[in-house]
This record gives sequence, structure tokens and C-alpha cells, in this order.
Amino acid sequence: MTSAPAAQRQEQRLPQTRGSRKSRKAAWFFVAPAFAFYAAFVLVPLAMSFYYSFLRWDGIGQARFHGITNYVTVLTDPKLLQIIGNAFQLVGYFTVIPVVLGLAVASVIRGHMAGPFGTATRTILFLPQVIPLVAAGIAWSWMFANTGVVNQGLRAIGLSDWARGWLGDFVWALPAVGIIGAWVLLGLCTILLVTGITKIDPSLYEAARLDGARPWHEFIYITLPGLRQEIAVCVTLTVISALASFDIVYIATQGGPGITTMVPGLEIYRLAFAHRQVGLASALAIVLMILVLISIAPIQWFAREKK
Amino acid sequence: MAGLTIRSVRKNYGPVPVIKGVDLDIAHGEFVVFVGPSGCGKSTLLRMIAGLEDITEGTIAIGDRVVNDVEPRDRGVAMVFQSYALYPHMSVYDNVGFGLKLAGTPKDVRDAKIREAARVLQMEHLLDRKPAQLSGGQRQRVAIGRAIVRQPDVLLFDEPLSNLDAALRGDMRMELARLHKDLDATMIYVTHDQVEAMTLADKIVVLDGGVVQQVGTPLELYNKPANLFVAGFIGAPNMNLVAGTVDAINAGELTIALGATKVRVAIEGATSLKAGDAVTLGVRPHALTADASGPLKGIVQLIEQLGNETVVRVKLAEGEEITAVLPGQSGHAVGAPITLAFDPASAHLFGTDQLRVG
Ligand SMILES: Nc1ncnc2c1ncn2[C@@H]1O[C@H](COP(=O)(O)OP(=O)(O)OP(=O)(O)O)[C@@H](O)[C@H]1O
Ligand SMILES: [Mg+2]
Repeated sequence: MTSAPAAQRQEQRLPQTRGSRKSRKAAWFFVAPAFAFYAAFVLVPLAMSFYYSFLRWDGIGQARFHGITNYVTVLTDPKLLQIIGNAFQLVGYFTVIPVVLGLAVASVIRGHMAGPFGTATRTILFLPQVIPLVAAGIAWSWMFANTGVVNQGLRAIGLSDWARGWLGDFVWALPAVGIIGAWVLLGLCTILLVTGITKIDPSLYEAARLDGARPWHEFIYITLPGLRQEIAVCVTLTVISALASFDIVYIATQGGPGITTMVPGLEIYRLAFAHRQVGLASALAIVLMILVLISIAPIQWFAREKK
Repeated sequence: MAGLTIRSVRKNYGPVPVIKGVDLDIAHGEFVVFVGPSGCGKSTLLRMIAGLEDITEGTIAIGDRVVNDVEPRDRGVAMVFQSYALYPHMSVYDNVGFGLKLAGTPKDVRDAKIREAARVLQMEHLLDRKPAQLSGGQRQRVAIGRAIVRQPDVLLFDEPLSNLDAALRGDMRMELARLHKDLDATMIYVTHDQVEAMTLADKIVVLDGGVVQQVGTPLELYNKPANLFVAGFIGAPNMNLVAGTVDAINAGELTIALGATKVRVAIEGATSLKAGDAVTLGVRPHALTADASGPLKGIVQLIEQLGNETVVRVKLAEGEEITAVLPGQSGHAVGAPITLAFDPASAHLFGTDQLRVG
């Protein structure tokens, strides 16, 4: 996910430069089982999907070669484009909210880590991570329901006009799903960032204070650069969660109302198993994979230590 | 112009007192060294001056301004950390210029100041590097450069040389002495290293248990330690401290009985000691000489040949062990008897209250 530290990278290079033919053989021998699993469960399915994406096939009967028609459909069909767009909108919620809040929390509890305040904060924020996603999805569906706590709260503070069935609302369903995802991912990001900030030498902050830095400068010049690796991991994981989201949407809205919350992951499932369009589903899957790779490539580049 | 005035300063961490009432006057331009054993509160005191720790009680004034509630950036102090604390993602140039940049110094002025600091510290060729690409000594230079570039009134150093090897430490020590001469700044320097303290300081402050034990020039501390702690702490190897009793009092001189052995110790002025009082005799290893007519008889336990001198560990007839540093390559042998003498004027006496007598 992140690039390995320099020392580690050097060690990884050692067998190549120094290893004899024999030790290289031994290395392959040790790698082989893992590679076999990787091939069987990752490479082969990937190749199959790629192959299917050029077929017109219902999954049972005779398959016919279909050229790039499936790809043309994925990239031109307005519904499918909207679905892909939804995924990118979710990135805004799944990534931005947890990373920003995580950074804020990490900055605030830096220096209080040992105290009960730090422990309590970490535990509370990590809690969503240990709750099964399905349970979280259901709980949030109730909270967003017409009579759920969200609306109760709004009515209690006199904003009854705002109350609505959030997950059934054409405008608000997608943001509501985004909030659920943000809530789920917040714990992970906070833990990563809080752990990362403890590794920053505290005397850097002291030196900065003597240099005249205000809290804002400390954040910009010390915390952010010091957390670059951790931020990159958070962004990578959350971007993938958003673009390849399935479970939260499936439980909360099933893609509705209409297709306002439909995401590629769910659409692939629907196309393949409900509509029996395995070829189109595979093409969408390949496109999704490429979009994920394109989206996280710059993050990886950004995270790399510049020499 | 900024001296420092510390008045009745205390620091507690929760219920634990760490600094227990320190009073100190530091004149402008002085090089003051804090020494003391680990955990005695040297860093804490330094950090309170910097503004990185709250002051529980008392006042610290820089110049004639009490700075208890002044932010670190407004105190006119700069600090060099033991870990260097260089900003890892910034080049040396940006590290040195960071404070100026935050202060809104115009770019050309900033550039001139950075280059001037780099020239003074002979690190112009390092300006484009990142801290990770520097050796320990070079990092130290950068850290010092960052501290001096804003021309602070007071420069603070917390064991800046402790991560360097012996040779480099020697070089940097001279460099710091030169820097102190060139800069018009008060310097406060924390160290464990006696050689650093003795060579650099105009004034040494010996701390123990959060209390100032003695303040003085290096030679004052060496020649007239105010109490047993300072006597044992300053000087290497440590001063020999042997328990005895007052045997007889003559003008300007006492006879001290160490068991059956009688030794003479010169004292200045009158003394309140009476015959029979318990005292501790202090004699520096370098003050002892091998002298067949001397009063101290013992057996050689251990010999360390250093070439220019010989360190001899001697077990006295009374059972106490003392260390003598004899000039040259002495021909003593382990297990052989030895007789030692010392000049009565070079000995130190401490009363039961641990304070110096005479
Ligand atoms: N944040 C803290 N909380 C509680 N106690 C502390 C804290 N910082 C320091 N102390 C205690 O205060 C005492 C003085 O610490 P300080 O760091 O000033 O010692 P020092 O003289 O600099 O020691 P050294 O030579 O080892 O650096 C020590 O006993 C230490 O345990
Ligand atoms: Mg210290």
C-alpha cells in the first residue's frame, strides 16, 4: 500500500544482487504456494472477467463474441455513467470527511495520548470498525427513517421542515449513504492518523513554537508532512471503499430511489445475476477496476518520499 | 541587552516537585552551563526559560521583562535540541529560514541572513540538502544555524553534542566557544560532560535534586567546592572523600585523624570545629603524590596506565579505597605497598552538614 521504508527496500533488493542461482530457486520455492493462491483467486478471475467482457452471455447458455460493444455501452449509457458518477460523489463523503475529521482528532489529542482522554477518544472512534457493516447499515437505516432519531432531533430543535425520509429522498439519499460510509471509515482513519502522529518527534513542534509557529503553522509544516504516508493509506483505502462500495448501499437503499444511489459494485451484481448480462457486468467491472487504479495512482506517487 | 533573572522558580509535575526553588542571575553575554546528574532538572529549567514548560511558581525575567506568560516566540530565545529537531521534509535552507519566514521577513533579507548563518557555520554547501542526507555533526550545525539566524538574545542548548563522537565533540566545542565570542548573545548550555562545562563556561551552575548546589566559575568550583555534592561531582576522576575526625587545631591548620593515621589540612580563617568533630576529608586524585615519608599507607589494588599519567587505586590501612593519579608511567605493582602524601593546602574539609569548612 505504502512504499516500504528505505532500509527495508534495500533488503528486498539483496537477494537479487547477491543471491546465487540456488538461493533464487529456493526463493521461488517459498513463494510458490502463495503465488498459486494469488493466481487461482486473483489472476485467473481477473483474466476471466476480462475475457467475459468481450462476450454477450447470460451466464448459462451459448456465449457470443461481442467485440468492444460492452465497453461502448458502459462509457455511453447515461444510466451507467450516472452510476459511475455516483461512486465518485461518494468519494467526497467516504474520503474527505474521515480524513479531515481524523486529522482534526489526531491534532487535538496529540500530547494527550497517554491520558484517559486519548484512550477514550480512540476507543469511541474505533467502535464503528468493530461493528459488522450490515448491523451498522441497518442501524443507520433506522436512524434515517421517517421516525428515526435524525428526524426526531430535527423536530426537537424546531426544524420539522427539514425532516424527511432521508434514504428515500431523491436529493438526500446519496449524501445520507455517504454519511454512513464516512461514519464507518472514520475509525480506521483516526486510528491510522493518531498512531502516525505519535511517531512525529515532539521536539519538532517545540522547535516550531520557538520559531514562531502558530498552531496552524504546526499543522501545515509538521503534522501534514509527517503524516503523509498515513494520509495516503487513508485516502487509498477510502477511495477504494467509495468506488467499489457495495454493502452499505445494498443494505441502506439498494440503489434507490430510482438509481440515485446506485453504485457500480451493486450494478455489476444486478447485471450479472438479475439481468443475466454477464458480459456487460464484466466490462463494467473492468472499467471500475481501471478507474480505481487511475484514482489511486497519484496518491501513491504523492506518498513516495521524494529523493 | 538581555541578561536573565530567575527568582524562586519552582516546577511541579502534578504533585512531584522537580525544581525546588531556583534563584539565578545571568549577565548579558555570559556563557552559563548547567550541570548535574541525570534527572536533576537541568532540561526542565532550560525549557522553562524557553517557554516550553509552565512555571509553577516564581518568575523568570529576560532583560527586565518578566516572561512567565510570554509565548516562546516572543521571548527572544532560540534553542538547540539534543535530537536536533530539524524539520525532516524541508531543505537545510528552509530549516534555517523557517523562523524568518514565519516572522514575515522579506525574501531578500531572509536569503542574506540564511547565507550569513551558513557562512559562519561553514555549511554553505549543505543548503540544498534534506536533514536525512546529513551526518550528525552537520545536522548539529544546521540546528545551531536555525537558532542563531534570528539573532536571539538568549541561546539555549540542551546537551547539543551528546550524540556526536568524541573527536567531533571536541571540534564543535571549539566552534561553540568561537560562536559565543562572535555573537552578542547570552548562552545557556546543559550538559553531562564535565569537559564541556569546564572549557565553555564563564559560569557553571551545579544542580542536584532540583536545587542549585553552587554557582561559580569553573576554577572556583574546582578549587573551592561549596559542599560534598559539588566536590564529588566536579573533577575527573572524582575527588577522594574519606571520613575522619578532628584531632587537633592549630593556627591555619587542622590535624585530622583517619583511624590511626593523622593528616594535616590547611584552612583559611577561623573555624567552629572542635577536636573530636566528625568531618569528611576531600583530596583530589591529582593532588596525591607517591612519597615514602607521606602519611597515607596502603596497598595498590589496580593500576591504569594512561601513558602520560598513571591511575592507581589504593586500599588504605583503614580499609578505605582512594584513587591517586601519579605523573608519568609509575613503576608501582598491584599488591605492593605504597605511601601517598598531599599538600595540606590542596585538601578540602566538609562538616557533618556536608558544607565546606574553611
Ligand atoms: N513531563 C513530565 N512529567 C513528569 N515528570 C517529568 C516530566 N518531565 C520530566 N520529569 C521529571 O523531572 C525530573 C527532571 O527532568 P529533566 O528532564 O529536567 O532532567 P535532566 O536533568 O535534564 O536529566 P538528563 O540529564 O537525564 O537529561 C526527572 O526526574 C523527570 O523524571
Ligand atoms: Mg535533560
